[in-house]
Amino acid sequence: MATTTVSSVPLSLNDRITTAILALLIGGFLVFGAGLANSAVLHDTAHDVRHSYGFPCH
Amino acid sequence: MIVKTLLAALVAGLIAGVFMTAAQELRVVPLILHAEEYEAKEPAAEPPAGTQGQQHSSLGRSSLIGEMLSALSPITPAYAHEGEHEDEGGIMFGMSRFSGTLLANLVAGAGFGLLLAGASLAFNHPITLRNGALWGACGWLAVHLLPAIGLPPELPGFPAADLHDRQIWWIATIALSAAGLYLIVLRGEIAAKVIGLALLAAPHAYGAPQPSDISSPVPAVLGAEFAVAALATTLAFWIVLGVISGYLNERFLKSA
Repeated sequence: MATTTVSSVPLSLNDRITTAILALLIGGFLVFGAGLANSAVLHDTAHDVRHSYGFPCH
Repeated sequence: MIVKTLLAALVAGLIAGVFMTAAQELRVVPLILHAEEYEAKEPAAEPPAGTQGQQHSSLGRSSLIGEMLSALSPITPAYAHEGEHEDEGGIMFGMSRFSGTLLANLVAGAGFGLLLAGASLAFNHPITLRNGALWGACGWLAVHLLPAIGLPPELPGFPAADLHDRQIWWIATIALSAAGLYLIVLRGEIAAKVIGLALLAAPHAYGAPQPSDISSPVPAVLGAEFAVAALATTLAFWIVLGVISGYLNERFLKSA
């Protein structure tokens, strides 16, 4: 069981930066695909979601 | 360890996406459907660029009626969205509207979960169960409330400026807001907080792209209700996302 003494994510500096970059890239790609990509099929599928999240739409 | 961290963020995002779908069905989606009735009814009252009625009516009705409408219309549906003339549109894989929304929520949730985790790793401030709600609230501020000052959540049929301009402004505002919030919340120096405040204000001083003609066939009351509902729903989404991220981080990452 984890103790409260651990105060940061147990990753080395290199791993932390790599993970951060990976997470930001993949996350940005997914959000772009769902929210911003200029494709009619993606737009229609995600239509209600785009409006609900307040993504710029139309 | 890297994969585990990414997976935790992904799972938190997927759970929050499912939650978001349920939350949207309560208030936001009914308002969108309601607005589309007006949007389809009065295409003449729409601003010049606004031919979205075609696009939306084809979503809500059966495809036969949609096709008949677009055949009768003087404006081809291909112009409903600039730059998309080569695409036919329609929902992916022939899914229902609801499953399309669920899928998009899962993708967006996973994306936001990863972005939140990425920010926390980059700033070296881990998300825990205790501070998860605050992380989520800051995510909501950066991604929804602050951009909404310039570009409030729109209903279908609302007038709006050029899509590309708005997307650029929106992305820039989120990036500046996230940086500003980091300086204000996580840095102790007074100077950092002042700079952070300036970063938050900068995109609004520049100004969001606005439509030249603000007439709309959709009643303003619906727009006001929708804006509040959308912001409230996304706030709930972000808090759920932050708390679940914190929980998964504590449960599965610390002990590794």
